[in-house]
Amino acid sequence: MGKWMNRTINPSVGLESEDHIPVEDLARLAEGGVDTAERQHLIGHLNRCQRCYQILQETLKDLSAETSMLPVAVPWWRTRMFYALAASILLVLLIAGPLAIKQWTQSPRVILASLDLDQGLKDILLEDDALKWEKKERVSRLLTALQQRGLAVKDLNLVLLSKPYYQKKSLFGPKEVLHIRIDKNVAYLEVEEKD
Amino acid sequence: MYGKIMDPEKIISSSDLLVKIETVCKRRFSAENDQNECYVYVIDSLKADNFKRLRAFKGKSKLNTYLYSLINALVIDFRRKQFGRRRIPAGVAKLGKWAETVYRFVCWQKFSFDDAYDFLRIDDLYSGSYIQFIKEIDPIKKAPCRENPAFQSIDETPESTLKNINAEGSNPLEFLIQKLDREMRIKAIKVIRETTVELSEDDQLLIRLVYGSDQSVAAAARVIGLPASTAGKHLKSLLAKYREKLLAVGIREP
Repeated sequence: MGKWMNRTINPSVGLESEDHIPVEDLARLAEGGVDTAERQHLIGHLNRCQRCYQILQETLKDLSAETSMLPVAVPWWRTRMFYALAASILLVLLIAGPLAIKQWTQSPRVILASLDLDQGLKDILLEDDALKWEKKERVSRLLTALQQRGLAVKDLNLVLLSKPYYQKKSLFGPKEVLHIRIDKNVAYLEVEEKD
Repeated sequence: MYGKIMDPEKIISSSDLLVKIETVCKRRFSAENDQNECYVYVIDSLKADNFKRLRAFKGKSKLNTYLYSLINALVIDFRRKQFGRRRIPAGVAKLGKWAETVYRFVCWQKFSFDDAYDFLRIDDLYSGSYIQFIKEIDPIKKAPCRENPAFQSIDETPESTLKNINAEGSNPLEFLIQKLDREMRIKAIKVIRETTVELSEDDQLLIRLVYGSDQSVAAAARVIGLPASTAGKHLKSLLAKYREKLLAVGIREP
């Protein structure tokens, strides 16, 4: 963590209270298991008590580390949901298929667009520094993101990035725009900085 | 309620708990000896008074989370017990509060003298120039400091975690502070501190957890009772507020 921000904004030692939050309440807070009124009371204390704040933030760190070490298991209900979803999609396709095909054939072959580079798009670009995206999951995430931002793109087979993208951390950083050209299911991406 | 309370004797002998204690102690202490003493202290404290601390668990949280919180609380106690009795050398103390603070920062918490100067200025404990400071710290440099270089911090935040963010990090406030020169950095830190205390209690904690303690937005959001996506958007608006205040006093990214 950053030494400057840590020293600048963490709760003061001077104002530390002797009347600390019970450990179990800190654990409940870390889990998000307290109601609004109680939370307000606890948060008020945490902003002034270094000891309680420290216990909470170390607990969050432990929970986070433990979660990241667990193997990703797919719960049974997700599988069932998957099948339910697949059945729904099949039904929609059967009903709306002809319309979709018509729409598909009428859509333009080349799509050009420029989007503000928001955090969602940045997260996808920052996954790795490959210029040619081979991972289907990543291509699929980009496709979904573009559709969510209103682009009438139906499918993507390949994504080519003009140059590796790196996070701009500046608080005053320039606005970034993502230029997209989609031709024959291949997306060409370029990030441009705007003043 | 998340479940029935377990038998404390079974909990204390479980490998799961022992691994938890070992992990926390290793993270908080760099010296192997301190790690071992921490481990023994936590175990002894858990056993004390017929497992009083474990018996205090009422089942309102998950046992796993409770154990982590309890271990962390005991580690803080251990740290204070272990290092709380240290005294600042008389030769340093007679120079005044500023000198004691420098000694704490440099000897106990392993910051550099340059960092100590900045912290003094931020807290208005020293008003002299840097050159003057360098001259005046001579007696502090000569004072005994058994912790240095094999130093163990008594600060609640271990020195090992107080590293500058790496290139992949995403803390725009820290990043800005790092890039500023000394005078601007001191000014910026004061603005950030003032802006933080003006925020609502929820927002203060959100900022502290995410930008002061490097917690994930999701974890911080859970604590303040917001969905992660809402907290993420809110953080952006809070950053905009900091940006405005910094710009208002003429601080820009160099």
